[in-house]
Amino acid sequence: MTSALLPGEKPAPGPLTADEQDYLDRLIVRHRGRPGMLLNILEEIQENQPKKYLPLDYLEYLSSRTGIPGAQIFSVATFYALFNLKPQGRHTVCICRGTACHTRGSKALLDRLKLLLGVSEGEDGGSADKLAATTPDGEFTIRTVACFGQCALAPVVEVDHQILGHVNERVLEREVEAVRKGARS
Amino acid sequence: MKKIRDLASFNEAREAGLEKLLPAVPRIAVGMGTCGAGNGAESVFHAFSDSIEQRGVSVQLARTGCFGFCAAEPLVNVWIPGKPLVILQKVRPDDAPAILDHIAAGRIPADLALCRIDEWDHITAHVKFGTGFEEIPLWNEVPFFRGQKKIVLRNCGLINPDDIEEFLAVGGYQALYKALIDSNPAAVIEAIQAARLRGRGGAGFQTGAKWEFLRRAKAEPKYLICNADEGDPGAYMNRNEIEGDPHSLIEGMLIGAFVTGASEGIIYVRAEYPLAVHRLRTAIQQAEEWGLLGEDILGRGFRFHLSLVEGAGAFVCGEETALIRSLEGRAGRPTPRPPYPADSGLYGKPTNINNVETWFNIAPIVLKGPAWFLETGSPKSPGTKVFSLVGKVVNTGLVEMPLGTPLKTFVYDVGGGAPLGRAVKAVQTGGPSGGCIPSDMFDTPVDYESLAQLGSIMGSGGMVVMDEDNCMVDVARYFVEFTHSESCGKCIPCRVGLDKSLHYLSRITHGKGTEEDLKTLDELSRMIRDASLCGLGQTAPNPVLTTMRHFLHEFEDHIRARRCRAGVCEELALSPCENSCPLHMNIPRYLQLLKEDRLEDAFVSVVLDNPLPASTGRVCQHPCDNRCRRAGLDEAVNMREVHRYIADSIYPAPQFEELAARVASLRKPATGKRCAVVGAGPTGLACAYYLALLGHEVMVYDSNPDAGGMLRHALPDYRLPKDVLDREIELIRRVGVQFTFNTRVQEEITLNDLDAQFDAVFLAIGTWKENWVYLPGTELKGVMPALPFLEAVSKGEPTALGRKVVVIGGGNAAIDSARTALRLGSDVTIVYRRERKDMPAIHEEVEAAEAEGAKIVFLASPHRIIGDESGRVKALEAVKTRLGEYDASGRRRPMPTDEIVRVPCDTVILAVGEAVDLDFAKASGLKIKENGLIEVDRYTLATSRPKFYAGGDLITGASNVSNAMGYGKKAARNIDRMLTGEERWTSLWPEFVYDMTVPAHPGASRRHRVREADPLERAKDFREATYGLTTVEAMEEACRCLRCDVRNGD
Repeated sequence: MTSALLPGEKPAPGPLTADEQDYLDRLIVRHRGRPGMLLNILEEIQENQPKKYLPLDYLEYLSSRTGIPGAQIFSVATFYALFNLKPQGRHTVCICRGTACHTRGSKALLDRLKLLLGVSEGEDGGSADKLAATTPDGEFTIRTVACFGQCALAPVVEVDHQILGHVNERVLEREVEAVRKGARS
Repeated sequence: MKKIRDLASFNEAREAGLEKLLPAVPRIAVGMGTCGAGNGAESVFHAFSDSIEQRGVSVQLARTGCFGFCAAEPLVNVWIPGKPLVILQKVRPDDAPAILDHIAAGRIPADLALCRIDEWDHITAHVKFGTGFEEIPLWNEVPFFRGQKKIVLRNCGLINPDDIEEFLAVGGYQALYKALIDSNPAAVIEAIQAARLRGRGGAGFQTGAKWEFLRRAKAEPKYLICNADEGDPGAYMNRNEIEGDPHSLIEGMLIGAFVTGASEGIIYVRAEYPLAVHRLRTAIQQAEEWGLLGEDILGRGFRFHLSLVEGAGAFVCGEETALIRSLEGRAGRPTPRPPYPADSGLYGKPTNINNVETWFNIAPIVLKGPAWFLETGSPKSPGTKVFSLVGKVVNTGLVEMPLGTPLKTFVYDVGGGAPLGRAVKAVQTGGPSGGCIPSDMFDTPVDYESLAQLGSIMGSGGMVVMDEDNCMVDVARYFVEFTHSESCGKCIPCRVGLDKSLHYLSRITHGKGTEEDLKTLDELSRMIRDASLCGLGQTAPNPVLTTMRHFLHEFEDHIRARRCRAGVCEELALSPCENSCPLHMNIPRYLQLLKEDRLEDAFVSVVLDNPLPASTGRVCQHPCDNRCRRAGLDEAVNMREVHRYIADSIYPAPQFEELAARVASLRKPATGKRCAVVGAGPTGLACAYYLALLGHEVMVYDSNPDAGGMLRHALPDYRLPKDVLDREIELIRRVGVQFTFNTRVQEEITLNDLDAQFDAVFLAIGTWKENWVYLPGTELKGVMPALPFLEAVSKGEPTALGRKVVVIGGGNAAIDSARTALRLGSDVTIVYRRERKDMPAIHEEVEAAEAEGAKIVFLASPHRIIGDESGRVKALEAVKTRLGEYDASGRRRPMPTDEIVRVPCDTVILAVGEAVDLDFAKASGLKIKENGLIEVDRYTLATSRPKFYAGGDLITGASNVSNAMGYGKKAARNIDRMLTGEERWTSLWPEFVYDMTVPAHPGASRRHRVREADPLERAKDFREATYGLTTVEAMEEACRCLRCDVRNGD
């Protein structure tokens, strides 16, 4: 079962502001004791961050307030594809690498996008299908997803949370240009 | 408070719902699943809402889920009281006003109507919409829906998923009510067991048995989990089920909880499905407000709490023990079973996990009973399953079919086959845990056992259709790349084994694989399968094992020939066009040389790749067109016509002498080896040309008095003028090829003679026998086979052609015969038993024949030829056919009808296919295959007799010019290797230096087509029917090339 939650005394003042501590405390109270608590808390933290990532200070505070070992929190934060430990770009272009999209040429779209934005590798430098790379100017993050479940529209690309179906290289180029120029925000 | 406590309040809510579903005013419901939204449903909804508000009309507007036909989204349901529900397809926002106009007049816009529904069986209730609009097909008359049975998707796309009252109106929560009133949990579990409902998540374990385990477990609390972490790429039915009908999931779980004694429920849903999460939250909240979740449900003292957890993107969490760890706040790493979750699951308590779709099946079984459920599906796999039919198929979407339906029904009848007329190669089922099933096994019924037998699995129901443009090695690599990155890393077989598998597969796709790699890969895959801890690892090798089992030749092509026929593995091809060309011409090179205004160099480039460019430039089937990347922007580059232009500019011109000398000067020093080539057709000529260039002495034998084979004797002059062919053969002579004509091998000279006199022999005799159909009447005067007819005309010999000619067949020989007969002044009708799109002839040729006045009767199967008293042909009778089932080639089989057509005629030309002279193969003493053709090594073309090679029609049956020449080229390379013991092939080509940059921003441009002579004029004689490209056109065409041969970093 989940271990000691919110012991009486506040931890030694850390790098977090009182507001941030308060926000996290409320979050913990809301989810405590429920199955999936840690996932839900981490998801909410990330969602509320302007740069959509999990700041390490937050994770440390979370550990000290819930008694969940820091190693376990870090293990969860790094295990799941959804979580980012680094700040994300202002815009996100996410290429679906599902089977239907693959058979309809999503690999070529990914290659084209990387070329277009000047990103050469995934940040983990590893396999191509779990990519999350941000341009040095912090404008764009390129991601891949295992499958959006939009297979009938394959190949699918998500630009700033809007799904585009039947994308070809030309459409992709146009959309990225539009985002860059701020035509869509 | 609106809490439902008894039957009266239950019925009250149902009535309220029915009034929304079937209001007194017209109702418009827009399909707003994620797929609809991705196709613009949101703006369609707003367009309706604006128009309705503007006009102040009384129309009810609602949102609904997805009805399954994703390719036709956005779908809009329109119901006018008393009339059937009509589903409109591909609705755009600006259609809204017109649709409202129609509705106001009590009509339906016919051009948008997909189908109508008079009444609908929600299984838990029956809704009658009305009658009328009979001109619109019923929903199950539309090919995509034909044969579908919607049990799981009973409500999807018909009710508003955000409104619990509409769910209640169609019988929602009735099964729960019944289960609570009956209060006999054991009986419910017995019913589920009797229905033999199997888990729809993939493994297919008996649901009833699992429930029984949980019911018997003693500890408290008990947990019930819905696995909605649909991680299989290519499968999205769970998402649509939740988005379209979330309450059915909740009801299923409630019944499960009641009968197993669980008090806590969790739905673990993918975070990538925001709309499904949103709809579920709304549904849970509504169910709580209505007293269907929480304490004292329906006033029966039963309590159940349901909460939602968003999975954070880990495929392995589909595995139940990993999912449980994930809920406990850990990384999703599986644990060994036993203990099973029913004994020790979440927090060590008894737990049961079922897939979304399994839960959807519960309420119908509880209400209708197991006997009803068993009526559908196959004995071992009753019921239906929802499949996502995606990939290379025309009609994509969600298809709910009875289990046991054959695969071909999905691919062809429902899916409509591959787009653009491509051939379907395989279907991948079961995602990364499944396998690829080849098209010749599409009779396989889709159920748990049959798929397992083929090495695949049902999985969650993804069906990804692959066509000839998909490489199966790449598919295997793709899935291993996926499972490799999704492996949790806990056990070594999966973590390290998949890493090694990926390494070997990548090597093969890069053209660096060895045959040893294949063995290692097979052994490794079996080890991973047998030794991994959880389902992910145990099934991850399936895609590799099945592709190696069913598509081994593709692996061998990559390893032995360094070729990827599909053109997917980039490292193995110069460019998509080069890869598709049977001669593997360096197309980008000659285009670029022409673009640089270096016509002579372009000619040398072309003629070194292809010794008959003026001929192929006219008659090639141009597979390159289908592969050109330019087609994605506008239209394919007209590569065939550009190389025709290059050839036509040089052969008749004064530079010919100089360039022929330049090509001849590339000939390697004499090797002293002697080669014989039997057959001076395109296959033999190509082989002889390259053998001569490689420095060997070459003698070509042919029974005719001249060279060219079928090019000369089967292709009419209007397609290929013979002076053009003569110039090409002249160049082949200049590189040193010698000919002995009027000599029949095996008669005038035996294979043993050749063996004694030569160091290597290449057999390349063509297709010289017309297949004979056994029709009553073929013995009549005036019936003739196509090839001898074409040959006689080409030689200027007389033929017994009459005035009214019927040609039977749909291939190139049929069209050539028809157009030739037209030129001889006859009236021509072509009779073909299938549809136009099934004709094997070049499409442009068919159009040209029609333009010149040939009539074509499709779907007519010749039945008999009728003669007059003198024994002459009088008419042809054909049975009209209709299209029946799909055959293994993916074409629909023509089925005879009662209707007979009679075409009066005095001549019948049979062009039903050519056959190789099998007597030759038989008498050769070489090993032959079952079909009578000579057996050769696929990669070297060596026959069973040392020194003897064979190619072209002799080994493949009738083919076309470029394929035939491709064999000749390949044989020359292998013969040279045999003779010299060296690989000297690539050294034949001098270095061409030309620009290697990609056009920066290709603008839109039109493909140049050749001009044709006026059809009626040209049909009067045998002058060439098309004019080649002009210099400017050829140049512009060359400039359209996107230069796929230039790689990044070059």
